[in-house]
Amino acid sequence: MIIIQAILLMGVLGVGFSVFLGFANKRFHVETNPKVDEVEEVLPAVNCGGCGYPSCAAYAEAVAENGEDIDLCVVGGAETTTMIAHVMGVEVAGEDKEKLVAVVFCQGDSEAAGFPGEYRGILDCAAAVYSQDVAKRCKYGCLGLGSCVNACPFDAIHMSETGIPYVDAEKCTACGKCVTACPRDLIELHPVSHEAFVYCKSQDPGAIARKVCKKACIACKICVKAAAADDNPDAVTMNGNLAVVNTENYTAKAEYGQKCPTDAYSSRKNSVNYESFIKDKPKEKAAAGGNNKE
Amino acid sequence: MQIVAVFFVAVLVNNFVLYYFVGICPFIGVSKKVDAATSMGIAVTFVMTITAAVTWLINNLVLIPFGLPFLEYVSYIVVIASLVQFLEMFIKKTFPELYKTLGIFLPLITTNCAILFVALIQAMRSYGFITSIAFGFGAGVGFTLAIVIMAGIREQLEVADIPRPFRGAAITLIVAGVLALAFMGFTGLVSA
Repeated sequence: MIIIQAILLMGVLGVGFSVFLGFANKRFHVETNPKVDEVEEVLPAVNCGGCGYPSCAAYAEAVAENGEDIDLCVVGGAETTTMIAHVMGVEVAGEDKEKLVAVVFCQGDSEAAGFPGEYRGILDCAAAVYSQDVAKRCKYGCLGLGSCVNACPFDAIHMSETGIPYVDAEKCTACGKCVTACPRDLIELHPVSHEAFVYCKSQDPGAIARKVCKKACIACKICVKAAAADDNPDAVTMNGNLAVVNTENYTAKAEYGQKCPTDAYSSRKNSVNYESFIKDKPKEKAAAGGNNKE
Repeated sequence: MQIVAVFFVAVLVNNFVLYYFVGICPFIGVSKKVDAATSMGIAVTFVMTITAAVTWLINNLVLIPFGLPFLEYVSYIVVIASLVQFLEMFIKKTFPELYKTLGIFLPLITTNCAILFVALIQAMRSYGFITSIAFGFGAGVGFTLAIVIMAGIREQLEVADIPRPFRGAAITLIVAGVLALAFMGFTGLVSA
């Protein structure tokens, strides 16, 4: 008898609630755009925030509902843009963008710049800037505490043994997390094909810059003159005490830096920031650099 | 008076997370950021209060009169799961803003042990209807309190220099233990 009662009760509960829920589903149905899900499916789902939205889902909603630009996903690049375009039924506007990579504008590792004392605060670059503003001697340079390394969702930026971050150009997706993580704005995104930069942000006058770092730009203008001699005066210009490569036309050549006395103007292959970019480098070196994160 | 006592006992003295150690999964899982922890706490409070009311009705109007109290677990699970489903639809339609805050947390807590625990405890202790609701609400507030404190501590831990063997889950569990010890200080505050 009690078995029948139990079966009846559970049956009534089950059927009752399913009917109730089925009814409620119709009554409270909210229209959602099916394109939102479709767009979200083609996105990389890493939620890096590189597009400016907090998550891939939020970006998908913005694309499908509010007509946001479809080429904002820096991680997926041209491939994802094409797929979103396919989902949304629009043509891809303009040419494919060239792949960007993060460029670290400082070569002041422990050999070149050195440490004035010991920093024992929180191991975070922003915290170091706020509390004591020290790490290495140069007050424009890399602090070497690795906030950019921690910020990278793709394991593409590492600390070298000498305490300067270097970028793995193949893994880098140009999401821009390291750019915002660096409190001294030393990291920028530039096309992967462009080689020559002035890897320094120091505004110190030459005499001081040279004292604090062996690889600082000392504003000698040799690279500017070399560019002018090559009939390309726009390529390298002076910004205060710092030579700057023109990043609007990217016409600077690596040769302009041949006479640079401090190697601040350098091709990417020769700069310390791109150790891993050199394809034929010895393997042990890469492993040693990659392990430095801990 | 008993209602007030039951409420405060559920919040502080017999805190669900730190005294009974139920609902540990969301307590560890969603306590990385204070914002998310607050949303989770509100969602849990919401579901717990309603669960307490509905399961009281099921227990006292159906199970006990028909002599079927052994169906407690099964029927509670069915009722709670359906109810949360319905709530989700209702909120999505009626209060889209609240839905965005609670977000994915609502369906997540449907099968949470803390929710079932509320239902079972109030039946075991034969609370009255209003007392049951006060108990469910208090349990939810207690959960929110615990998870928000935990999230606050974990936000600080992010930048703390923790010895390597303790990093990650280990330090979280240690902090939970210390918090539980601290909450033992409330024992004897209210005798229920």
